[in-house]
Amino acid sequence: MKERSSHLLTSSPPHLHPYRRRASRNAQLTGLAFAAPWIVGFIVFFAYPVIASAYYSLCSFDAIRPPRFIGFENYRRMFTEDDLFWKSLWNTLYMVVAGLPVGLAASLGIALLLNRKVKGMTVYRTIYYLPSITPVVATSILWLWLLNPEMGLINIALGKMHLMQPGWLTDPAWAKAALILMGLWGAGGGMVIYLAALQDVPESLTEAAALDGAGKLQQFRHVTLPMLSPVILFNLIMGLIGSFQYFTQAYVMTSGGPQDSTMFYALHLFNRAFLDFRMGYASAMAWVLFLVTLVCALLVFKTSARWVYYAGEGR
Amino acid sequence: MRRPAPAAASALRRRLPGLAWLPIAAVALLAPVGCGRLATGPAPKQVIYWTGWSAEEFNTQQRLVDEFNREHPGIQVQMLSQFGNSGYQKVRIAFAGGATPDVMSTIWADELAGYAMRGVLEPLDGYLKRSGRNLERDFTPGVARMLRVRGKVYGLCATTNTSFIAYNKSIFREAGLDPYHPPTTIAELDAAARACTVSDRRGSFVRYGFRPGGLALWAYVFGGQWVDPATGHITADHPGNLAALRWLASYAKRYDLKKMQVFQSTFGSDQTANGPFFVGKVAMWSTGEWAEQFVRRYAPDLEWGWFPLPAPPGGRTACSSAGGSVFVIPAACKDKEAAWTFLDWFTRPKPVARFCSGIGNVPPVVEAGADPVFQQSALFRFAVNLSRSSNTFGPPGTPIWPTYAREIGRVEEKVMLGGGDPVALLADLQRRMTREQLDAMQDLSG
Repeated sequence: MKERSSHLLTSSPPHLHPYRRRASRNAQLTGLAFAAPWIVGFIVFFAYPVIASAYYSLCSFDAIRPPRFIGFENYRRMFTEDDLFWKSLWNTLYMVVAGLPVGLAASLGIALLLNRKVKGMTVYRTIYYLPSITPVVATSILWLWLLNPEMGLINIALGKMHLMQPGWLTDPAWAKAALILMGLWGAGGGMVIYLAALQDVPESLTEAAALDGAGKLQQFRHVTLPMLSPVILFNLIMGLIGSFQYFTQAYVMTSGGPQDSTMFYALHLFNRAFLDFRMGYASAMAWVLFLVTLVCALLVFKTSARWVYYAGEGR
Repeated sequence: MRRPAPAAASALRRRLPGLAWLPIAAVALLAPVGCGRLATGPAPKQVIYWTGWSAEEFNTQQRLVDEFNREHPGIQVQMLSQFGNSGYQKVRIAFAGGATPDVMSTIWADELAGYAMRGVLEPLDGYLKRSGRNLERDFTPGVARMLRVRGKVYGLCATTNTSFIAYNKSIFREAGLDPYHPPTTIAELDAAARACTVSDRRGSFVRYGFRPGGLALWAYVFGGQWVDPATGHITADHPGNLAALRWLASYAKRYDLKKMQVFQSTFGSDQTANGPFFVGKVAMWSTGEWAEQFVRRYAPDLEWGWFPLPAPPGGRTACSSAGGSVFVIPAACKDKEAAWTFLDWFTRPKPVARFCSGIGNVPPVVEAGADPVFQQSALFRFAVNLSRSSNTFGPPGTPIWPTYAREIGRVEEKVMLGGGDPVALLADLQRRMTREQLDAMQDLSG
């Protein structure tokens, strides 16, 4: 197996007949030609913009006039003079630290509930999945109504139960919580992935655990959860990236208010780029966001060796 | 392994002689079309025009464009709607890529100075002179001031708006105020706001008098300014601006604005049937001439009136705002004469009067305001007069105005809802915006 793959990796070995060598080069060119649409797309629409943005981050650039090189000035300003940079970073970290775990737990909880053998389960699954495929803008408008402090269904329900009725999106102390609550509505996306993974948990293992005297909770803790851990890692990493780029809901519902409480990093970046003509500054912000996300993702990966279990691997 | 590619290629080659006839056939078929053109003279010049209006407003404009096309057989204006924020962003991308249309009205007045100073707009002074037009004579004072950037004219307007306060006469009467003598001073406005506000025993609003907002405009009412018109310097900490912000803050102190905001959110936005003014939950409403069509639609029985923003002693009376979409010719336009012919025609009194009356805006062209169509409505008579006030202010000519305006809004919010210190906040705004403008100027000179 190993030999075969190393042979495949070696192109035009020297002992081949010249005709065969030409044929193999032709095959390579054909392969490249077939891959060209992707390669060209990658270079033009991804690699070049990424490299260009790294350069622009060192420039004052308004996208209309040529960029003017200013070194690390954008970064210095960002760290030392832009109060909204720190505020937006804090708001975004809040969503990552408070919102993401809640979201992960909610989708796992729903998946566990929907993994039971009950009549009409496929219908329930569809119902729970539906919100996650509703366009974010539509969802946001709907939630603007639900979260209305006086007329919204949520506060009406809380009022009926004689509970506190927060101002939600009108109150800086509650605005982020309101967005997290709204995020839970879309937990169906993660749920589907958990459900697929739950179906893969071998019954023999849970049975064995049951025979050994493990209760339901212990089975979940020591069998189901470890078997799900690669999927949890996947959802965590994807959620991490998504949370750091949190944008649409704030753009549609709050424009960053009240009092900057929902001014997220991506929204501040967007404003700097497309309202203020500060593309260079926004590029610098994008790179900082990339590095922050990268560091967080690496930290998660680093710890994952301790809590993620891949079946088939010795541990 | 056999490769099918050569076989397919040879098959294609075999078929090519057949396909080669296609272009010849196409030319043969299309030739009469070209000949027809030649026979009737040169093809009309194409002017591509991007408009920021959509739906019914687009249709109103289309009728005017059709009329222009009929009157000018040598020019064909093709109008395309680039509506909404994405449309206005498309403009930015078009400028960045140098792929602009010939005329566009997809530029907010806020952005005019920024684009003009970046050199992507054609100055119109020469064209205006040749066409016998004069910006200051033809246009209302606030609009004319707004269209000049560093002494040159970079765009023209076909519409503008006004700002004033609408009030509910029944509530005034109920509160013991004279419904025929609305407030003329800040003191009277404050007193009327207090008289009209009603709270229940728990302190929740049942109705409120007035919730002032919009520091950018109120600053002018209090004698302030955001940019020194003579030097172009940022003047965020102008004493007039501070006085206006302190006055706004007095409302935050007197009333629980958070409660007021919650109360207000109970009702719809100002543009729905459930808007607080339409359902009698607010006595005075900061609005513009568009209020008329909403009242007619949502609260036809409402007994209402209007008055200009009251001023404090020493402040500016009959203050109003100017703004909206600006018509420009991009510097990259190939046939600027044809573009100007259209722009000139469209901003003449008659088309302006028809367009503005069609979409319910105030005409920025002085002569258009005299059109009988605006004299039929009491509100429009008032609004047209107000728009002619010399105390009408559009965006000041700084390239950073979109940023500046947003930051003014943030300062206002910090004071009104967060109890921030007006002096410190304006000083901070002064420092940051001076820096921002300096940066922009450096970019522009670099």
